[in-house]
Amino acid sequence: MSETGGVWSLLLRSAGRFPERTAAVEGGRHMTYAGLLRRVRSLGAHLRIKGFGKRDKIGLLLPNSTEFVVSFFAASGIGAVSVPINPAYTEDEIRFYVEHGSLRLLVTSTDLAGVAVKVTEGTGAKVMTVKGDSADWVFDTEALAPEVEEDIAPDDEAVYLYSTGSTGSPKRVGRTHANLTALAFNHTETIGWSEEDRVLFTVPLSHTYGFGNFLGAVKVGASMYMMGHMAGGFKRGEVIEVIERESITVFPAVPFMLGILADTHLQRRVDFSSLRMALSAGAPLTGDVYTKFRDKFGVQPRQLYGSTETGVIAINMSEDVDTRFDSVGRPVANVDVRVVGPDGSERGVDERGEITVRSPSMTTSYYDLPEETARVFKGGYYHTGDIGRVDSDGYIYIEGREKLVINVAGNKVDPAEVEAVLCAHPAVKEAAVVGIADEGGAEVVKAVIVLEGELERAEVVQYLKGRLSGFKIPRVLEFRDEIPRSPTGKVLRERLR
Amino acid sequence: MQDDIKARIRKVLGRKLRDIDVGAIADEALLIEYGVGADSVATLELLVALEGEFGVSIDESAVTLAELESVSAMAGFIAKLLERGG
Repeated sequence: MSETGGVWSLLLRSAGRFPERTAAVEGGRHMTYAGLLRRVRSLGAHLRIKGFGKRDKIGLLLPNSTEFVVSFFAASGIGAVSVPINPAYTEDEIRFYVEHGSLRLLVTSTDLAGVAVKVTEGTGAKVMTVKGDSADWVFDTEALAPEVEEDIAPDDEAVYLYSTGSTGSPKRVGRTHANLTALAFNHTETIGWSEEDRVLFTVPLSHTYGFGNFLGAVKVGASMYMMGHMAGGFKRGEVIEVIERESITVFPAVPFMLGILADTHLQRRVDFSSLRMALSAGAPLTGDVYTKFRDKFGVQPRQLYGSTETGVIAINMSEDVDTRFDSVGRPVANVDVRVVGPDGSERGVDERGEITVRSPSMTTSYYDLPEETARVFKGGYYHTGDIGRVDSDGYIYIEGREKLVINVAGNKVDPAEVEAVLCAHPAVKEAAVVGIADEGGAEVVKAVIVLEGELERAEVVQYLKGRLSGFKIPRVLEFRDEIPRSPTGKVLRERLR
Repeated sequence: MQDDIKARIRKVLGRKLRDIDVGAIADEALLIEYGVGADSVATLELLVALEGEFGVSIDESAVTLAELESVSAMAGFIAKLLERGG
């Protein structure tokens, strides 16, 4: 694991500079950067002994945890490609990643081992537990191999993340070691974190937002406080307790979390004085949530903008957040943002258009999707599908999107995926799915269903449970005689809302 | 008092279950059939809405699905919290 070994260098440098500083905290367990590095080397050696190495795809079916961090860097250190998978997903969903990612190994915890065995059945992928009682790998300094180095080129793939689109299945986004080191650099250069920061991770590390912040935290030698997944239940009481007790300085969140915290009925005064940065990403931050959170906790949420394809794009570092809270900020270091019209020409100040991005941390294609790749990666820029403008000071405002993706509390839902599952029911003739606003303005999933048999609402909900993650299950169901379509057969989604 | 609590719970549910006539939901009807409890995001939103409606604090880690399974169960749960002073 050489100093120039790509994303590995982030950990190696921090472990060299801050060996005794806390790297990761989970429950009551604290681990220093030196301790983290020793565990990474140990697991890397174990993976090698078990026959895994360069270019092998290793799935990380792990919650936010020290073991996630250890496993990611251990896999990177032997030149393997990590495939983070959110454990909150259903078995069918996890199996998709196992198969599509061509995994040779699925690393997990003992309490998820049963799921891991099921979803790898018949795929050829092995299962290895690294977390929990009697895990397959247990850290043992005596068993530490002296070296598990592997030559890693900057353009070698380091991670597969998956982007939700409107194509029916998540799209595989490969990011190289060079992409990831650039991501960490661009992020931390802009955001001004240091080894003094204590970052609370409640957003899943398996998704681009949590993953990018995690790499940034490691790069600067910050302390990472690990908490469970949003999709598995956002524990607001624990979040408040940890922010106060551990003097958390940075809290990457989604607007849903900030809104829940702001609306929580507190029976005592809460002290968030340590918190200097509450980040908001994954969905638009409304004025209502911004104001309520600021007034309740004395912290102004700042929007961050990014995508699975590019990593972080912009962060609102304005000194006058109150008047610019609705901006996602200026582009981070080394990232170029252009707003373009339908003909590709660049828009002027405050003129609306599609936001396009060029970044050293971005991918350049989707795996096995040449048409989709050609549609969104053009001339060195990624076309985000987001509609927005840039003001005279360079601040970006997102004002809409072209994509059909539904955003439920920061979780992306592909309407085509939900439609496909609904249509697989024998009593469903056809279905169309859209996003609608709930009473607070947040987006929820609505399904319009045409039946060819008998089916009650409750049966639909029961059928979807276990087939789709909870956030994908439509909150609003409507039965109609037909789906409205244009003369060319295109679903008229506006007439479904 | 229970009737008043149930009416206010229906008001909260009415805001969450837009496609349902909450007045037609029987006190003992299982709310999971309407999607309540199927999704952790929606469940947490419901708890926060109940906190706002009744001025109580709810520890989501201590709430069981049984306490949210029907309007009646929810009313009993809220009544206990109110008795304890929120």
